Amino acid sequence: MTFTFLPAKGSEMNLRQRKALRAVAAFLLFAVAQVSVQIGLADPNNPGSTPFPQQFIARLTTRANQPITVNGNSAATGASILTGALIETGPDTGATINLGPLGTLDIAPNTSLRLDYDENGNIKVVLISGCAILTTRRNANAEVETEKGPAAKSDKEAGGVIDICFPPGASAPTVGQGAAAAAGAGAGVTAGGGISPALLAALIGGGTAAVVIPIVVLSDNPSESAPSASLGN
Amino acid sequence: MKSPYTFLTRPPVHFALSLAMIVGLGLLAMVSVRTAFSRLLGNHAILTSNVVTAYQAVQLNSSDPEAHTKRAQLLYHLGQPLDAVDALGQATSLRPRDYHLWLSLGVVREQVEDAAGALAAFNEAVRLAPYYAQPRWQRGNLLLRFGRFDEAFADLRMAARSNPELTANVIDLAWGISKGDMGETERLVQIESDRMRLAFAHFLARKGRGAEALIQFQATAESTSKDRRELVQKLINAGAFREAFAIWQTTVSGVVAGSEGGIFDGGFEGALSLNETGFGWRIQRNPSAVKMSQDSSTPHVGGRSLRIEFSGDSSPGTHLISQLLVLQPAIKYRLKFARRTHEIVSGVLPLVVVYDTSKEGRRLGQSMPLPQGSSDWDVVSFDFTTEEKSGAVSVTLERQHCGSPPCPIFGTLWLDSFSIEQLQ
Repeated sequence: MTFTFLPAKGSEMNLRQRKALRAVAAFLLFAVAQVSVQIGLADPNNPGSTPFPQQFIARLTTRANQPITVNGNSAATGASILTGALIETGPDTGATINLGPLGTLDIAPNTSLRLDYDENGNIKVVLISGCAILTTRRNANAEVETEKGPAAKSDKEAGGVIDICFPPGASAPTVGQGAAAAAGAGAGVTAGGGISPALLAALIGGGTAAVVIPIVVLSDNPSESAPSASLGN
Repeated sequence: MKSPYTFLTRPPVHFALSLAMIVGLGLLAMVSVRTAFSRLLGNHAILTSNVVTAYQAVQLNSSDPEAHTKRAQLLYHLGQPLDAVDALGQATSLRPRDYHLWLSLGVVREQVEDAAGALAAFNEAVRLAPYYAQPRWQRGNLLLRFGRFDEAFADLRMAARSNPELTANVIDLAWGISKGDMGETERLVQIESDRMRLAFAHFLARKGRGAEALIQFQATAESTSKDRRELVQKLINAGAFREAFAIWQTTVSGVVAGSEGGIFDGGFEGALSLNETGFGWRIQRNPSAVKMSQDSSTPHVGGRSLRIEFSGDSSPGTHLISQLLVLQPAIKYRLKFARRTHEIVSGVLPLVVVYDTSKEGRRLGQSMPLPQGSSDWDVVSFDFTTEEKSGAVSVTLERQHCGSPPCPIFGTLWLDSFSIEQLQ
């Protein structure tokens, strides 16, 4: 019988094999990781694959959810307003654009304007015709222009409110005299208060149904829900 | 055989059953009256903008989601969206399978800066009505504002699939997000039908991207003549005349492919349409004291000519007939036409003018005024040079400038054989 400190021949082979196996495993792991990363980047359905920079996007609210026109398309409450949008409101339809940390833009009925904004706090409204109120927060750098040239600028340090009207054919805009507020700028109540005609019509329609058919089985079927009972929608 | 139900006719049982029915009906009537009155109060509250009445309506029948919804509507309208969220929360808990309530809740939650809550509400609305446009549309827009563009466009596309009217909005958003990148816009919109591709072509035409609009149009398998006409109109408005002409050619017969630079139907042989908005003859609708018709009696060549009868005070500035021609820039051309007159009397005579189609509309050339009195067929020509950046010109028949109106004109004019040739 032999006693030795050296490992048996078989054991020495196992150790070498183990080392080799470890190296191969490490290499394979590295290779698989590389492939996964490549596939992950190439996958068009990967939620993070869109190469666009993060940008703030404004949100539209319209009075009684009546549609207005954004870049020639019909849009209502909940729509996203990107920078450069050409916005037009019809009669009786005011709108508010929530510019998040920059402020809000209330637009009166029968108004046409172009809105530009960016991440650096710059807001530019080109009022083509009509009335609008631009409310800015601190650090927002806002200006309103008409075809006659620059009309008003906000105070970057304090923020503020620019109330402006530029009716079609006017020689100069009216600034800071409450004309836009009087014209019913914004998605809130109609000019002079009260309930907007569209909302009233929707409510009376719903109300009539409720009065005529006082006992109804409240359906749980989504398709049977009454869309007339709309809030922002 | 004796009926097993004869016991019902026994007086005590009969009485008990009747009593139970009366009590049941009474309870039902109470519930009915309470519901009706609660809803009446809710409507009244909205009409009078009275929050207290709305609250009373809820108190009267707190298990009726309608009462909560009405209260929410009023609160929202009165500028109290936080309270509206609470009221809508009550309504959704009472009617949890109504997608529209969840949708409203999401909208109002976002308004009060609760974006996560809004997303949860929209998720529920989408779960309940996965094929409806509005839940997808609202959630897609919210995800867009979150910057989760791929998820957002998955929803927006679904919304547009349910409601094709939203297609143009989706394209517009994709274009804006990708900063006008064609490839990225296509990737986000994922055009999968002729209808979508046509919508994209229309969008590009409106943006003045004529070449790209034409490519999209040519990639469609089918399109209606209305689609093509509208697209042509948009391209013309955007100044993309060459592309507009290429599409217009597909809407008419008698135009040989590649005949760009020529006059279409210079002999007035084909049917004239008052609705022409492309590159055919455009005829002024109902001009005062002027009557126009195709005359086959004595044409210059072919079978017909255009007959124009003046009978008084017609407006001199009116373009009685006109045609857009796609021409090469900075090139000299010669326009020829044949004319015949009968007893023309006026101090302000008609003439043919060529204008550039740019905004300024510069006058590039004009014929001599057509002669007074009567004359047989005569071929007239004049030369003009197109502008450096010109894509098209407009050939028109109008009258000379009238210095002191009225400037009446009487007599008949025939026109025929319009043609154009390149001189250099």
